[in-house]
Amino acid sequence: MRSVCRWGAIAKRPGVARLALATLIACAAISWAIGDARAEDEVSKGETDKPDAGATETDAAPAKPVRLEDTARKRATLETAAYTDSNNVSVLTPSVGFGIENVAGGAALRGSYLVDVVSAASPDIVSTASRRWSEVRQAGTLNAAYKPRDLGLNVAASFSNEPDYLSYGGGGGINHDFDEKNLTLSFGFGFSRDTIGRHGTPFSVFSREVNRGSFQGGAAWVVNPSTLASLSLDVVVENGDQSKPYRYIPMFTPADAAQAQRGASLDWVTSHRLPERPLEQLPLNRSRFALSTRLAHRFEISTLKLDERVYLDSWGLFGSTSDARWIFDVGKRFGIGPHGRFHVQNAVSFWQRAYVATPAPLWNLPEFRTGDRELGPLWTATGGLATAVYLGGSSEPSTWALRLQVDGMYTSFLDDLYVTSRTGVIGTLSVEAEL
Amino acid sequence: MVKLIAVALALIFAVGCTHVAPYERGRLAHPSMTTGGRGAGESHVYAVHEGTTGGGEVAESGCGCN
Repeated sequence: MRSVCRWGAIAKRPGVARLALATLIACAAISWAIGDARAEDEVSKGETDKPDAGATETDAAPAKPVRLEDTARKRATLETAAYTDSNNVSVLTPSVGFGIENVAGGAALRGSYLVDVVSAASPDIVSTASRRWSEVRQAGTLNAAYKPRDLGLNVAASFSNEPDYLSYGGGGGINHDFDEKNLTLSFGFGFSRDTIGRHGTPFSVFSREVNRGSFQGGAAWVVNPSTLASLSLDVVVENGDQSKPYRYIPMFTPADAAQAQRGASLDWVTSHRLPERPLEQLPLNRSRFALSTRLAHRFEISTLKLDERVYLDSWGLFGSTSDARWIFDVGKRFGIGPHGRFHVQNAVSFWQRAYVATPAPLWNLPEFRTGDRELGPLWTATGGLATAVYLGGSSEPSTWALRLQVDGMYTSFLDDLYVTSRTGVIGTLSVEAEL
Repeated sequence: MVKLIAVALALIFAVGCTHVAPYERGRLAHPSMTTGGRGAGESHVYAVHEGTTGGGEVAESGCGCN
């Protein structure tokens, strides 16, 4: 939920690329080892099941041990995402995910781990004359679910860690199938605690706590033999000071503020702002609401997925996000199709392109002030292409899948200093395997 | 907000709730109906670039696969 500049604080971390590479290698080794163990298992199973040609029915040999069939489905995903944009931000995100599901027993365990390697010289911090910086974030999730029949329960835990930001969370949920699984209702809740600090300063010296409670209610149902739909409502309540401890906000006299143009240059801001630069200050509470729908339809040789989210919060932000994916089958082993996304939002109620303050000694500051562009008015159009190659056996080719997706993103900032737009590219390469 | 929710609910439930027997769900079980969504990296980029949040997967998502 943090902006690109929120991706990290000022930090120089030599060796981050080596850490990411080591993580990838470790994940690949685990996947290889699991696959190898499974192969050995099958060899030994074959030997155990082999009939004994020399034995007769009258032999009083003890009964052969019966091997129970392993009904567990194991899935692993290895993914690397890379992002770069015209604001000199680049992000490399390798991640690994796994899932073990016992279809017969209804139990499932899923987990994921990722590393964000961020490098940036964002205009957000240009005004503070910051150098280019890089940072590593690690995040993980673990989810356990049990659904022997129509009623299911699940619990989840997550963590995220970077030099100046720490987050732990947990939650649970309940869901119930109705009408032969034509309808599923679900309800979930979660709680997380974030600790915001400053790089190089222990949390014991400086830190802020942000508590976050989240609730989700949803329904998913089978519309017809080719269509699935879902609807969910998210409510998130946040308490605490989320203000960025590095973000200084330029202040202007009323006359200069009126002259501040959209995209005003760093030089103009530097020459016209007041000498004092207060830190960002956001409201201490925020309630967020999102209503989301999804429709997935299977045509004869293609699958269309449509998502729409409408969002509003107590800071006055209102936004809409639409997402569409259409994947066409090209034979049994290849899929390709377009992806599009459009996001538009207004500004929070306390947003100002140029904030007005009374110069010292009166020093009358606006109570709330921010330079976070993601709290201002903007729209983003995203478009690209997704491909999938299925490498599994002939009966189920999709048990092994190699996916590549590349998207271009264009954002127009409608009422900001420094920048008016951002152009970015994001590429994702992933391998999914059923082991 | 209430009007918005009401309209969304009306639109979606107007699509219909035909009872689909398990043996009729072959198309719904196609792998592309349940996989190929957003990965962790892509989701994070959107979360960072958009001032909004919410709308994760609904639990068990209608379960048309068995």
